[in-house]
Amino acid sequence: MAKAVYIHIPFCASICTYCDFAKVLKNEKWIDAYLKALKQEIKINYQGEIINTLYIGGGTPSTLSLQQLETLFNILKIFKLSKNVEITLEANVEDLTQEKLEFLKNKINRLSIGVQSFDDKILKLLGRKRVDKSNLILAKKYFNNINVDLMYGFNEENLDILKEDINMLLNLDIPHISTYSLILEPHTKLYIDNYQLLDDSTENERYIEKTLTKHGYIHYEISNYAKKDFASKHNLTYWNNDNYYGFGLGSSGYLKDERYENENNLMKYLNGTFIKEKHKLTKLETIQNEFILGFRKLKGINKNIFKDKYGLDIKDIKVIDELLKQSFLKENNNYIFINHKYLYLSNEILVKFLDNDLLK
Amino acid sequence: MKQENIRNFSIIAHIDHGKSTIADRILELTGAISEREMQSQLLDNMDLERERGITIKLNAVQLQYGKYTLHLIDTPGHVDFSYEVSRSLAASEGAVLVVDAAQGIEAQTLANVYLALENNLTIIPVINKIDLPNADVPKVKRELMDTFGFSEDEIILTSAKTGKGIKELLDAIVERIPAPLGSAHGKLKALVFDSHFDSYKGVVALVRIVDGKLKVKDKIKMMATGAVHEAVELGIYTPKEKQTDELVAGEVGYISGSIKSVRDIKVGDTITLENDPATDSLPGYKPMKPMVFCGLYPLESSKYPDLREALDKLKLNDAALEFEPETSKALGFGFRTGFLGLLHMDITLERIRREFGIELIATSPSVIYRVTKTDKTVIDVDNPIKMPERQKILKVEEPYIKTNILVPSDYIGPVMELCQNKRGNYVSIDYLDKTRVNIHYEIPLSEIVYDFFDKLKGMTRGYASLDYDLIGYKESNLVKMDILLNGEIVDALSIIVHKDFAYKRGRAIVEALRKQIPRQMFEVPIQAVIGSKAIARADIKAMRKNVLAKCYGGDVSRKRKLLEKQKEGKKKMKMVGRVEVPSEAFLAVLSMEEE
Repeated sequence: MAKAVYIHIPFCASICTYCDFAKVLKNEKWIDAYLKALKQEIKINYQGEIINTLYIGGGTPSTLSLQQLETLFNILKIFKLSKNVEITLEANVEDLTQEKLEFLKNKINRLSIGVQSFDDKILKLLGRKRVDKSNLILAKKYFNNINVDLMYGFNEENLDILKEDINMLLNLDIPHISTYSLILEPHTKLYIDNYQLLDDSTENERYIEKTLTKHGYIHYEISNYAKKDFASKHNLTYWNNDNYYGFGLGSSGYLKDERYENENNLMKYLNGTFIKEKHKLTKLETIQNEFILGFRKLKGINKNIFKDKYGLDIKDIKVIDELLKQSFLKENNNYIFINHKYLYLSNEILVKFLDNDLLK
Repeated sequence: MKQENIRNFSIIAHIDHGKSTIADRILELTGAISEREMQSQLLDNMDLERERGITIKLNAVQLQYGKYTLHLIDTPGHVDFSYEVSRSLAASEGAVLVVDAAQGIEAQTLANVYLALENNLTIIPVINKIDLPNADVPKVKRELMDTFGFSEDEIILTSAKTGKGIKELLDAIVERIPAPLGSAHGKLKALVFDSHFDSYKGVVALVRIVDGKLKVKDKIKMMATGAVHEAVELGIYTPKEKQTDELVAGEVGYISGSIKSVRDIKVGDTITLENDPATDSLPGYKPMKPMVFCGLYPLESSKYPDLREALDKLKLNDAALEFEPETSKALGFGFRTGFLGLLHMDITLERIRREFGIELIATSPSVIYRVTKTDKTVIDVDNPIKMPERQKILKVEEPYIKTNILVPSDYIGPVMELCQNKRGNYVSIDYLDKTRVNIHYEIPLSEIVYDFFDKLKGMTRGYASLDYDLIGYKESNLVKMDILLNGEIVDALSIIVHKDFAYKRGRAIVEALRKQIPRQMFEVPIQAVIGSKAIARADIKAMRKNVLAKCYGGDVSRKRKLLEKQKEGKKKMKMVGRVEVPSEAFLAVLSMEEE
């Protein structure tokens, strides 16, 4: 039973140099058609479950006009929402005008703002607009629950820029911060321009972790920090390897034992081809995903939940046992988790779970 | 066929002097194969042989030349395989000695001629490649006359490339090489000079019938092993297989008899008839002992039975190959494998990889050391881990060889320096003529096993050729050096080394390992130690970090792909304790860079 819904809005006012998501430059005549197709897709596939989290991502959903947003939220009325539902909308700073915030106030309860950096040089590199801090201050008046995305690992960056960025977020008292090192994905401008990444961003990560935890943030996922009770419920669905719906261009979903990916060609999507491919997971793959995703959480994987889910004692898995012995993994009463010392080398640990004989 | 019209001969030559091309021309001229069928160098039918331009396995082909029946028995041209040369020669009455018109006599020329003389063969000297622009026929003639005492008119000039002189050569073969002795009416004595395994016929033995007659369905007996089989099929190679009803004294052919185990047919054994046996066997050969040993381990431990099967199969065709199971703490189950030399080792490893698809880890090659313990018992040590504790050792001896290094006299200086650096003792220098010398040194075999040959070739621009004889054991100041990875001894990396060279060796190995082993999640110290004393150390710095990617809804499949790729890269790695070691690193001991 899926209790989470992701909605993708692919439109952007401009295209960032690092982005490889399903996105298109905003074009009014497509937006209406898109919302119509989206409505159709949801109608066909939604099974009527009670939804705990609804996440509207992009692209840039905040770039839609008030009228378009109105249409979108009317479509979303189809979902049966639980009392404590978390509804997130991704937004760019420049869209956070009083008018839009006023409109969103009663529609959503969480904002995820793509800031990336406050530094003009970096923003220019990323192809993003300058950050108007007054919009952030305004947003804080409307919403308690705010996430800001922050990026690091630029060649031009020195620790000073990162310090400045973090300070800014601390001053604004943003309760949730997502941090990522820049990654060059094929088909992005930075990749094509052969941009040179910072060799080693270990120092940056150490600084982020040290500073944020000192200021009361909980490092709850490898890239995410939250003040108490502000962890993203929706994203935890992913990391807990639970089911979720994905609607919209290029989105993906996970229903029962099937993962699917949506069409990422806009024209095809508008013409009613929604799902591009489905993949039925074997038990092995499901358990492997449980590890790949679950070990992103610093708390780790809950032994009892694992047993309930898979009918299998997690410690009966040989690799787990070996990694515990080698102290790459650790455990407490309820959880098994990556030794914090090796958190930033987690790929080296996760790769061991790809073994086909994992369950033997 | 009449026995008096049979001629059995081999062709012997230094590597690259044109042996296989001459064989090809002979095959063409005798009509054994048409030009169209001619796949260059037909006798080299193993891919590896053709690729490397060397012959490894011998072949025997029957040819018709006028009223004569010729058996051409091919020979390998590399020092590692001189044993196989001697086998071919034992089945022949004559040898065609091929010398390159530009290169002249080389080290293997000498070695092969001595082998032929030991076997009382008639030798026909041939100067080949006379069409080359840098051919110096008069000079090479002089060398042949001075070195071996041939007379000028005995020497035949050929160009195997153009076919010039091949007819003269064939005429000389039938005129000069004697017909085989032995009687068709005597009791059967057939010398097994090679065998191979055929998946349909079982073991196929190549034989030279010395006395008597062998017919299909005869019950045959191996005189050394006592095994009895039925001769199910007899035949000759033309070079295509051609079945015959019988093989008679003087002839060369093959026998198969549903023989499943190659151990039942020992190369060098004599075959006789079960119901009418000969009283004594032919001299056979003294089996050549492997001189170089290394551990062979499958990269995936589950392939251990496959590796055993591969070695068993190769052994069918390769009597010199020896192996026995061994275990390494670092590498698991494998085999200590003995080879004639480094090339033999190289080729065997390559064949296991290619023909059997098994990825291998080979440990560094070792010779057999002879250790006298304080209690006066003497043991052979072919693996450094078998070395007794230092307190229990009275003395250690190692095998020495005496070199024939043939080189233009301009290079005497550098070659002597090289030999000196390899712990060589000078013996003498012989002048072949004014410009060419034969340099004799006594050098520990273990030094030759490493990079001696490559170095020699390099510093003489390829002009030097090397051959050597084992001359026995000499005492040396040898110690066992262990390599510690992350504080633990890796048994597969231990070597035995001369004490005076230990420090330099240790540093070079540690440095090579540091370069070859990728960064791990933690810092890994590498140490070279003798006993408990560390003599060299390097550290592999800890890996700093993985790229931190976001991972939301659809990203799990992307993440999986990334991890799959990473896993692929790890396939060539072996876990040694907590350290992932690439398989090549186990040969790090070989990568000795000179300072």
